[in-house]
Amino acid sequence: MNDTVVIKGSKSGIILVLSPDASYETLKKDVAAKFQASASFWGAASKAISFKGYELSDEQKNEIIDIIQNNCQLSIVCIMEDDPLVESAFRKSIEDHAIKDKDISNTGQFYKGNLRSGQVLDVETSIIIIGDIKPGAKVISKGNVIILGSLKGNVYAGASGNPNAFVVALDMHPVQIRIADTIARSPDNPGKSSKYETKIAFLEDGNIYIEPLDKDVISDIRL
Amino acid sequence: MGEVIVITSGKGGVGKTTSTANIGTGLAMMGKKVVLIDTDIGLRNLDVIMGLENRIVYNLVDVVENNCRIKQALIKDKRYPNLYLLPSAQTKDKSAVTPEQMKKLTGELRNEFDYILLDCPAGIEQGFKNAIAGADRALVVTTPEVSAVRDADRIIGLLEANEIKQTHLIVNRLRTDMVKEGNMMSSDDVVEILAVDLIGIVPDDEHIVISANNGEPLTGSDCQAGQAYMNICKRVLGEEVPYLDLEVTKTFFQKFAAIFRR
Amino acid sequence: MSFLSNWFKSSESSSNIAKNRLKVAITSDRAVCSPELMEHMKNDIIKVISKYVDIDTDGLDIKVTRTELDDDSGTVNAVLASIPIRDTKPFRK
Repeated sequence: MNDTVVIKGSKSGIILVLSPDASYETLKKDVAAKFQASASFWGAASKAISFKGYELSDEQKNEIIDIIQNNCQLSIVCIMEDDPLVESAFRKSIEDHAIKDKDISNTGQFYKGNLRSGQVLDVETSIIIIGDIKPGAKVISKGNVIILGSLKGNVYAGASGNPNAFVVALDMHPVQIRIADTIARSPDNPGKSSKYETKIAFLEDGNIYIEPLDKDVISDIRL
Repeated sequence: MGEVIVITSGKGGVGKTTSTANIGTGLAMMGKKVVLIDTDIGLRNLDVIMGLENRIVYNLVDVVENNCRIKQALIKDKRYPNLYLLPSAQTKDKSAVTPEQMKKLTGELRNEFDYILLDCPAGIEQGFKNAIAGADRALVVTTPEVSAVRDADRIIGLLEANEIKQTHLIVNRLRTDMVKEGNMMSSDDVVEILAVDLIGIVPDDEHIVISANNGEPLTGSDCQAGQAYMNICKRVLGEEVPYLDLEVTKTFFQKFAAIFRR
Repeated sequence: MSFLSNWFKSSESSSNIAKNRLKVAITSDRAVCSPELMEHMKNDIIKVISKYVDIDTDGLDIKVTRTELDDDSGTVNAVLASIPIRDTKPFRK
């Protein structure tokens, strides 16, 4: 193996060091070979990439990224400029975003009305719905979802990945509930529909639990 | 290489979705690897007929828009591990997909599956054009009613214009008692008007309603509709199967006393 | 109920009526051009006419309709075309 192409990994990205002496055509071939060989190492991760050494045009950068994605499961989400100033700006904006995430579960909106099949309510904050979620309708919230009515459709709480998000409904018969990255679906053979009871759905140890909203459960809620 | 079959009708409510679910299930029962695609974007129903509505995470539109890989969107059936469903999106409309994208999708699925069944929406607009784009053959569903037969004729014309190689007819919801009284067209009448080969006659059977309620297709089960759909599946595979005697039968053997109508 | 069905039977069964009505309806459905055929025809007409005159293709309207014959002897399918002319081309020959 020659070393016209060197791959260095960093926390969130890949630094691709390309020899400035090699021709663009050889570099393309070598990038393909290197990533093919290390495909199993990378897995199906999402990474940012930055280039060093060889001066690439924007078109060439895109071509190299295509080559990488075609030869392994990696998905390249963005190109990072190799500039400490820019990088610190990136980091700051990511951190700001993380702080915002925390506030989401503490701020909320109201929605009045029923959601029917095909309707989607997508909100940035927590949401309190005064009405029913019918089968086929969907609520997506980055925070918590409180339904003052019956839930018979789909709910996705903590859509930005918050595992502490929860769903409360006065009548809990969802088709699907998703919290962060975990999805739970209703049983295939629902028994006799249980009585009208306020329940909460929350995520614990990678499973979604649905329980009556009693004192113990309320004390465990983290906002 | 798999075969792509579109199930269509023109008129709504004649049993396209029920037929897709039952024929798909039957083919899977016979050991074929089958995928059902619901192309009715905005009004999805195949998932509830199959009883798989609570498993949907990704859908057809996600696949064509590259939000996910095909395999992520395919839902495995509850009962048959070689039967899959690609559900439709409920929140988009027909224009979210183009005929070219459907062609590409069915092309890719051909490598994986023996049969790709497309449940076509009612009408002759965009949704219909999408559904027939990649199809090799078509099953046209009609009931013995004037409105359904007229629409079926229009559809058959459009299928011919789009060079679908093979078109077969399913006469659904036939009531033998009414045919006898002269108050319903017989399957022979319908075939005579439409001039297209028959592949199955499905009687009007209350078991169909019950099977939809339970979300479990009834192909192969011990009722007239179940047997009728099983026979359609065998004919799809190229077997010669005599047509059922749809008289209201009392004994088990009478049910199998088939008559040749062709 | 039984006297009703007898009343119908006295003339013709409803399934036969349905069959005959459908045959007529479908024959006339088939006679009228399909949208694809119409599109082809339209393009050909444009091609021919624009050899001689400059036409406004956006304002073009071509349809097949049923029209009554002048002598009241029945109806026929006819092609009706409305083709706006922008400018007559200088006569070539």
